[in-house]
Amino acid sequence: MRFVFNTGRTAAQGAGLERKTSEEYQKATSVARMNPVDMMDLEIEDGERLRVSGPAGTVVLRVEANDGIPRGTVFVPLGPYANAVLDGETHGTGMPDYKSVSVEIEPTDDPVPTIPALMEGIGGVALRREE
Amino acid sequence: MIHRDMVCPFCGCLCDDLVVETEDGQVVQVDNACTLGSNKMMGAWQHRLKSPVMRDGGGWRDTTYEEACEYAAGVLLDADRPLMYGWSSTQGEAQGIGVSMAELLGGVIDSTTSVCHGPSILAIQEVGHPGCTLGQVKNRADLVIYWACNPTEAHPRHMSRYTTYADGFFMENAFRDRKLIVVDVRKSDTASIADEFMQVKPGGDYAVLSALRAIVRGRADVVPKTVAGVTKEQLVRVAALCKEARFGALFFGVGLTMAPGKYKNVRNAIELVDELNRHTKWTLTPLRGHYNVYGSNEVFTWMTGYPYAVDFSRQIAFYNPGETTAVDILARQECDACLIVASDPGAHFPKQCLEHLAEIPTVLIDPMQTATTPLCRCQIPTAVTGMDASGTAYRMDGVPIHLKKFLDLGYPTDTEIIGRIFKQVKEVKHP
Ligand code: SF4
Repeated sequence: MRFVFNTGRTAAQGAGLERKTSEEYQKATSVARMNPVDMMDLEIEDGERLRVSGPAGTVVLRVEANDGIPRGTVFVPLGPYANAVLDGETHGTGMPDYKSVSVEIEPTDDPVPTIPALMEGIGGVALRREE
Repeated sequence: MIHRDMVCPFCGCLCDDLVVETEDGQVVQVDNACTLGSNKMMGAWQHRLKSPVMRDGGGWRDTTYEEACEYAAGVLLDADRPLMYGWSSTQGEAQGIGVSMAELLGGVIDSTTSVCHGPSILAIQEVGHPGCTLGQVKNRADLVIYWACNPTEAHPRHMSRYTTYADGFFMENAFRDRKLIVVDVRKSDTASIADEFMQVKPGGDYAVLSALRAIVRGRADVVPKTVAGVTKEQLVRVAALCKEARFGALFFGVGLTMAPGKYKNVRNAIELVDELNRHTKWTLTPLRGHYNVYGSNEVFTWMTGYPYAVDFSRQIAFYNPGETTAVDILARQECDACLIVASDPGAHFPKQCLEHLAEIPTVLIDPMQTATTPLCRCQIPTAVTGMDASGTAYRMDGVPIHLKKFLDLGYPTDTEIIGRIFKQVKEVKHP
């Protein structure tokens, strides 16, 4: 099903900002909030997983029901997961389409990737050391 | 030891009433800060990288500050089109050296502004900025609008320090006398406490702003029954509230700058404020996210004439957002080296840009491991300003505030490290 992909700040995302290698930040940014009616249409329950495909790629997220999200929209906190599907088009403004990209969503059983795994997929090398 | 009146180096509110308790070089208690601020203060002394690190084949190795700075200078000197990006969570002093270095190298310097309130600046350049300090809002505003933002989660003390829950010098009972209007595409936590919540269909802000302008102008007759999901009755009611206010303050977030229309949305908001100023007093302030992103705009402007995305490749300062902004340069694979200071594009840039960042020599100056770490070749840890370094930062209303140091963990400051790199660059470019 097609959805408008909206991103933004949340308190949990902000609280984890200073420790992006933590599980807390990973959890806070890998969630997709959706209207419960849309979830019914997708036949998916709270806590299950979705595959979101946008112009730049695909990512797996955990879904969370939220009445405040209008139908047809999915809200994902700012962060590496949201950006995994966005492309670099800015329409001459310098600002990517963080709030208006159209994505395809389907339920999946695949696991949510870790942030180091996401970055390695892009061509990076994770520094695996927690201090 | 108790340190009073400390400044929180997290968001653009720059709350300056924090009480921090330290014991043996550790932060044990933070009072007055919100969750975001106290999380930073409580965590930032313990999760630091111990020393600079450098990519070594398929892995990483520790290195010295000397080797890391030399590597950074070498990479920048070798590049034809170096990009220097970030600058929002660092000291004004470091930003200044960054601009000088970009100029000498003929590189591009951009701050995180380009992906937050860059479009607001474009709008301000078109139609001006009817702004004021947060102190004015606190003491005078009897109507506050939060448009396309969610301060409850992103600027948690904005409402208690400057608006809804703050005392006002010119008000008898500020909490009762102040009205709150929230405009957003979703019912956020801030929306749930508003006197009036206008829910706009995604992408509909421009139309709603235009409708309000028409109504304030006395042309309600041209407004259709609903505009982007908002009923005409509500628009008329909100416009009347705005006109009746003695002092109105409109705050807006990246919900306006990132949505379709981008800077034109902000331009329309400024023009609504202008329109209202024919009837009463209104001001407008972008809610700035990083604690010193406003500082990067100030410092870049005094030094180059432009607030962000400044390109020195023509040997004079050239500015053209959409072309000289970091996301565009990376997406076009244009830069051949990148220095990232105090920001995390790994977490906040589109994937296409990160792919290029991973391919070129990228150096990161940041106290902690971030999502950008895996993408760079070398990371240099520094002190956190407002914690183990002092320095200048600009609040979201443009007021510079001195951040104080209350810990000593032995890390060099951003200013010192960038100064060291700059010195080596100068030795080659300006012997
Ligand atoms: S509102 Fe902003 S500046 Fe104030 S304590 Fe919270 S994060 Fe820090």
